[in-house]
Amino acid sequence: MLNIKEVHSGYGKLKILRGINLNVPQGGVVALLGGNGTGKSTLLKTISGLVPVMEGSIEFDGQIISGKKPHEIVRSGLVQVTQSKEAYPAMTVEENLMLGAYTRSDSSVVRADLERVYEFFPVLRQRRKVLSGTLSGGEVQMLVIGRGLMAKPKMLMLDEPSAALAPKVVLEIFSNIYKISQTGVTILIVEQNVRMALLLAQYAYIIRDGVIMIEGSAEDLINDPSVKDSFLGGTVANTKKSLNS
Amino acid sequence: MRNWTKFLAGLAAGGFVLSATAALADEIRVGITMRMVSENGQKYGQMVMDEIGLINEAGGINGHQIKATLMNDECKSDKGVANANKLIFQEKVHLLIGSTCSSVSLPIVDVTAKAQVPQIIPHSTNSQITQKGSAWVFRVPVSGRFYAGVNAKYVGENIGKKIAYICAADAASQNDCDAMQAQMKSQHGADPAYVAQVQEKEVDFRTHMQKIKSAGVDGIMVAALAETMSRALIQSYEAGIGTDVRRIGSSSASNAPVPKISGDAVKGVFYAAAYSNADTRPIAKLFNQMVKDRYGIHAPDHDFSQAYDLIRIVEIALNNSDLKLTNSSLAADRTAIRDAIANVKNYQGLASGPISFCAAATPQCRDGNKTPVLIAYKKGGEAFETEVLARVNMPEDFGL
Amino acid sequence: MDFDFGSLLAFIIFGVTIGVVYGIVALGISLIYSGLDIVHFAHGEIYMFGAFLGLVLSQQIGIPYPGAMIGAMILAALLGMFIERVFYRRLTRSGGGYTVSGMGMIICGFGMSVALMNVAFLIWGADAEPFPVDFGIEPLEINDISIPPSYLLTAVVSLCLMGILNYFLRYTKIGLAVRAVAHNKDIAFLMGINVPLFISLIFGLACALAAAAGVLVGPMQSVQVEMGYLMLMKAFAAAVVGGFGSLPGALIGGILVGIFENLGAAYISASHKDIYAFLLLILVLMYRPAGLFGIVAKVKA
Repeated sequence: MLNIKEVHSGYGKLKILRGINLNVPQGGVVALLGGNGTGKSTLLKTISGLVPVMEGSIEFDGQIISGKKPHEIVRSGLVQVTQSKEAYPAMTVEENLMLGAYTRSDSSVVRADLERVYEFFPVLRQRRKVLSGTLSGGEVQMLVIGRGLMAKPKMLMLDEPSAALAPKVVLEIFSNIYKISQTGVTILIVEQNVRMALLLAQYAYIIRDGVIMIEGSAEDLINDPSVKDSFLGGTVANTKKSLNS
Repeated sequence: MRNWTKFLAGLAAGGFVLSATAALADEIRVGITMRMVSENGQKYGQMVMDEIGLINEAGGINGHQIKATLMNDECKSDKGVANANKLIFQEKVHLLIGSTCSSVSLPIVDVTAKAQVPQIIPHSTNSQITQKGSAWVFRVPVSGRFYAGVNAKYVGENIGKKIAYICAADAASQNDCDAMQAQMKSQHGADPAYVAQVQEKEVDFRTHMQKIKSAGVDGIMVAALAETMSRALIQSYEAGIGTDVRRIGSSSASNAPVPKISGDAVKGVFYAAAYSNADTRPIAKLFNQMVKDRYGIHAPDHDFSQAYDLIRIVEIALNNSDLKLTNSSLAADRTAIRDAIANVKNYQGLASGPISFCAAATPQCRDGNKTPVLIAYKKGGEAFETEVLARVNMPEDFGL
Repeated sequence: MDFDFGSLLAFIIFGVTIGVVYGIVALGISLIYSGLDIVHFAHGEIYMFGAFLGLVLSQQIGIPYPGAMIGAMILAALLGMFIERVFYRRLTRSGGGYTVSGMGMIICGFGMSVALMNVAFLIWGADAEPFPVDFGIEPLEINDISIPPSYLLTAVVSLCLMGILNYFLRYTKIGLAVRAVAHNKDIAFLMGINVPLFISLIFGLACALAAAAGVLVGPMQSVQVEMGYLMLMKAFAAAVVGGFGSLPGALIGGILVGIFENLGAAYISASHKDIYAFLLLILVLMYRPAGLFGIVAKVKA
């Protein structure tokens, strides 16, 4: 579904990613793990088209998407779920969700999909007229995932859905992501919460300093002691907290 | 092409200097600084240069050519003073002509007095100009003090004594406004019904119009430069002040933009000026035709007539001056020209009355024209029409 | 000057009628600020161009006044989009706001202001042009206050424009996308919105509003090349008083500036009328730096 070959990218003269190879099969769930400042957000932005590709190529659903504009990539069915702080706080929950469906012109189906999202996340239905700036952290995370679903994606990329959330809420979010993957949506999940991500994913990549350090099936990695070592780049506390939860 | 003349006006506004003839050793150097921002300003500037060109073509003054340097001060006093300094000290002119706006002429009077250069003023009306006691200044237009006297006499006798005043912050309008109020007081014992001091380029007069409307006045005097006056006139009708309340203009009411911008709102507005294009004398008719043919101006206002009269007076004075025109005779030549202008008596030109100067450094001697004419607009727009209400010869020390 | 309630009411009404015009220009400045992260210093000149375009359409071509206003708005929008695409785009592309290119943008805005003024000067000259419009109806009389039809029209049209804009932004899909772009361009991109196109749209919209203000004010104040400067200053004050980036704030800010300067002119001194807007600006900045309706600083990607 998504094929990344030898991708280099960065901001201006500053190169962050140095030769990334990554593959997400159709219908699969793949995790990209790494601490802060390892290049995982840059990789997501590069796939989405917000950061230009310097070298290499990105192929999605049989088409080369590297070099395309972000809004064109969204229209081809590859949708990035932003971090939870990136909802539009001055818009209502429903406006945020409708914005997710911006690329679609099938308005009657959009209404039905809105209902589907509300069934998925009943709390969003209760609060649909409320400004999203007033929601709790977990609710906003549900909102941005729901917003991603509104685009009727072939593939969703989730940017740290567990960030700054209470463990109980994280569990709820991940079970929802699992349900989404069961509907046939391909998923790439970017996480610092290694344990949760490896529970969900079939395959995982660990990124550090802009290169893929380790890759393998989730089962292999979950038992690999070196995985823990690769997180020593300053996020020990986070990882420990997550693992303890 | 209209737009090209404006382009040239733009160049002139940028400090571009036009010269009438090439430099010659024994030429008479005349410097001119005027406001040439509007279309009309550009054209009366051109008329002054053209008239000097005609004098030169006809053989000059006693065999000497006149070298004229025309500069634009945009009605800004700092530019005007800079122009005067450049003309006096760099160009070493024998005579300075200028300026249009009172606020520019006032500081230039000090410059010419100190440098001892004769200055002859084409347009400015502020009474103070000749009251500074400079022996070097001469005024061709009618002083504000005479305008106020005529206006106040007519208003008190024909309109009423309850007058509201809208006074813009520029020097000429302030002077017109103060003088009118003083005259209404001294001639008719009338205090102003309402006074609004507004900004020079005020755009919104509605609060004042509302107050004036509720004050129930006989007339409104609008003392402001052309555009500001037009806005006030239009807004006075917008506010619902009817035609039974007469509108009195300050001296800038004679400027062509006033009827053009005001449109119908200018109808019935009257003002005192030095010249009316409704003048039926043959000289006036010829002049109107000349300005129309040469410059495409529908009806010249007194800025044109005064600039024209000024050139004729300068021609007379220069012809009567004994000039050496050498490098060492500059000061003597300047004095000779000053004395010759002071000797011009009973010049009969476009102005409604005779223009005479004399030697004393007093307003009585240096305000040459003492005959304002009262003019009313009959029709507004580009093709405006005026009529003469009255011509009055004023005593020379009136309003001092 | 003795005090009476009737004239106080009249001054407030006049303040509101001119204030809503400040409001729609401020709305444009606010829109551009949100959309492009720049303060557009040439907006006063767009207002001036709008007034001249309205004048040409109604007086020279003979289109009725409402049609001339719509025509001027469309032409000014096209002019604005052209300016944005050709001159501003390369600067805004590398980031606006407080970045180095944001500074370049401010200078570019000033340059554009001078350039537009000179273009207008070459086309229409320096003289003020009359813009006579027959508004037809009798003044509205309330007790002894009479409100001329032109003032009423100005207020009503301005409020309608704001109402339409508000409806457009709040209840249409395109409006939703405009708000998204205004708030955060990166997320808007991820929603599949063609952000560069919307930036042009926002710019055009803001310019159309300024042109409408020009056509509304033209008949009352005549049309002149230098008219934009003062309007920019007043609208800027209105935008800051109301809170930069807030649309209802722009309207309320405009009305406050209008009332404040009219009351100042009426009861304190009219010879320095233009300073009251800035006095209000300073007061608001001292006690509420984000403006009366200022929203929390935008989240930058």
